[in-house]
Amino acid sequence: MKNRTIEIMAPAGSWQSLQAAIQGGANSIYFGIEQLNMRAKSSNNFTLKDLVEIAEFCNKNNIKTYITLNTIIYDHDLILMKKIVDTAKQTGITAIIASDQAVISYAASINMEVHISTQTNITNIEAIRFFAKFAEVVILSRELSLLQIKEIIKEIEKQQIKGPSGNLVQIEIFAHGALCMAVSGKCYMSLHTANSSANRGACIQNCRKTYTVIDKEDGHQFDIDNEYIISPKDLCTIGFLDQVLDSGINILKIEGRGRSPEYVKTTTQSYREAADAYLEGTYNKEKVKGWINKLESVYNRGFWDGYYLGQKLGEWTGIHGSKATKQKIYLGKAKNYFAKIQVAEFDLETEHLKEGDNIIITGRTTGIIETVAGEIRLNDKQVESVRKGDNFSMRLDQIVRPNDKLYKIVNIK
Amino acid sequence: MIQITYQRGKCIGCNYCIELAPDRWRMNKKDGRSLLLGAKNKKGFYTVKVNDTEYEANKASAKVCPMKIIHINKLNK
Repeated sequence: MKNRTIEIMAPAGSWQSLQAAIQGGANSIYFGIEQLNMRAKSSNNFTLKDLVEIAEFCNKNNIKTYITLNTIIYDHDLILMKKIVDTAKQTGITAIIASDQAVISYAASINMEVHISTQTNITNIEAIRFFAKFAEVVILSRELSLLQIKEIIKEIEKQQIKGPSGNLVQIEIFAHGALCMAVSGKCYMSLHTANSSANRGACIQNCRKTYTVIDKEDGHQFDIDNEYIISPKDLCTIGFLDQVLDSGINILKIEGRGRSPEYVKTTTQSYREAADAYLEGTYNKEKVKGWINKLESVYNRGFWDGYYLGQKLGEWTGIHGSKATKQKIYLGKAKNYFAKIQVAEFDLETEHLKEGDNIIITGRTTGIIETVAGEIRLNDKQVESVRKGDNFSMRLDQIVRPNDKLYKIVNIK
Repeated sequence: MIQITYQRGKCIGCNYCIELAPDRWRMNKKDGRSLLLGAKNKKGFYTVKVNDTEYEANKASAKVCPMKIIHINKLNK
C-alpha cells in the first residue's frame, strides 16, 4: 500500500473553516461560490472576488480546490454559471463539482476538470462510462452499499474507463456528516411546503422537525414520541473505514459546509488519522473508540453506518439538533498579540474565563486554535479568573489576530 | 401607496417573485438574481414606492420568497 494515498476532502463554508480544514490535514476542500450551490441558504458562500485568494492560498499549501456548482440551473443562471467556471479556470481552481448537464458540458468544453456531484445519483457502471466523457471523478450516490461500490471500482479497472485526462475515473464517496431522508437531491418537501427548493440550495429541512399524525376519520391527533421519524442520523464510517478503503475508494468526503470550524477540524483530523492508520496497518478498534469520542464532541445527530453495510434501512434520530457532548460559549475578541513574549490580549465581552479552561480561538487567517487557557493577567497582575468587561492578557504560544473570536468549551450535561 | 423592500444580495434566483408579480420584477441574466424594477439601492436594500394596485401581486411574491428578503409595507397617506 506504499504508493496509495487517501484524499480527505473537507467542507469550507467560510475562511475559518477553510483554515480549519487545512489544520486538520485535509488534502482538498470544497466550497460554494455565489448562489448556485447546495448550501446557498445555510452557509456564507464565497463570492467570485474571493476565488483568486482561495486558489492562491490553497495552491501554495498544496490543497486541491473544488467548487460546488451543483444546483439545478435555469436559463437565467447560465451567464453566472459560465462566469464562475471561467473564473475558476483562470484562477487555478482544481475542479468543478457539477450535476446539471449545462455545467458539466460547459466546464468540459473549456478543459476545466469536472467531478460529477452526488446530486446526479450515479449508481451503476454504465452511468459512469457516460459521464467519463466529461469527468475525472464521480461522487457516487450515497445510497449504494460497499459491495456495489467495490463492484463498480473493479469494473472501472477491468473496462479501463478513463476520464478526459486519460486516467482511470476516480470514485469518491461521502464518509461523514448529514444524510438526506430522500435519495440525495430527490426531495421536494421543502419546495412543496415553503417554495424553498432543496435543489436550489435552500432546503428548510422539514425532515428535522417533529410531527403529529392525525386520524382523518375521527380527527384524533397523535404526537410521535421521541422519534424524529424522517430525520436520519448522521453518517459515520470511521468504525468500518477499513472496509470502506478495502473497496478501493481513495477519496473521502466530509459533509458540513454549514458547520463550525471546530467541526471541520475535528472531523477532518479524525478521518486523516484513521486513513493514515489504515495505510500503515495500525487501524484498530481501540483507535476507533478514540476517534468516535472526538467526533461525538462536535455537532452530530447521533451516528449510523448509512447504507454502506446494507443491513438496516434508515436510522432515525431521536433528537432535534445536535447530540454533541461539548458546546462552545462565546467570550470575546482578540485585541493584540505580542509575539516576542507570546502573550495575547483579549476583551472579555461576556461570561467568565479561568486558567485551565478549554478554549478555542477562530479567525479568518488563524483558522482554529484549540488549547487550554494559560496564565491570565489583569492590569499587570496574575489572576485566577476574569469576567465580563475585563481587558486581560494570557500566555499563548500561537499567534492570534485582532478580532479573532475567543470561545470556552464546556461539557453539555 | 406601498413600499417594497428587497435585500438583493441574498437572492438565490428561484424566479418566484417574477412569476407572481411580473410587472414589478425581472431576472437579471448577468448575475442570476431578481431585479426590483424602479428601486433605489441603499447599502444592499432596494426600495420602491408603488401604487396600491400592486399590493396583492407583490404580497404574494413576498410570501413565496424562500429567502424571505422581500417586504411590503403600506404607507399612510
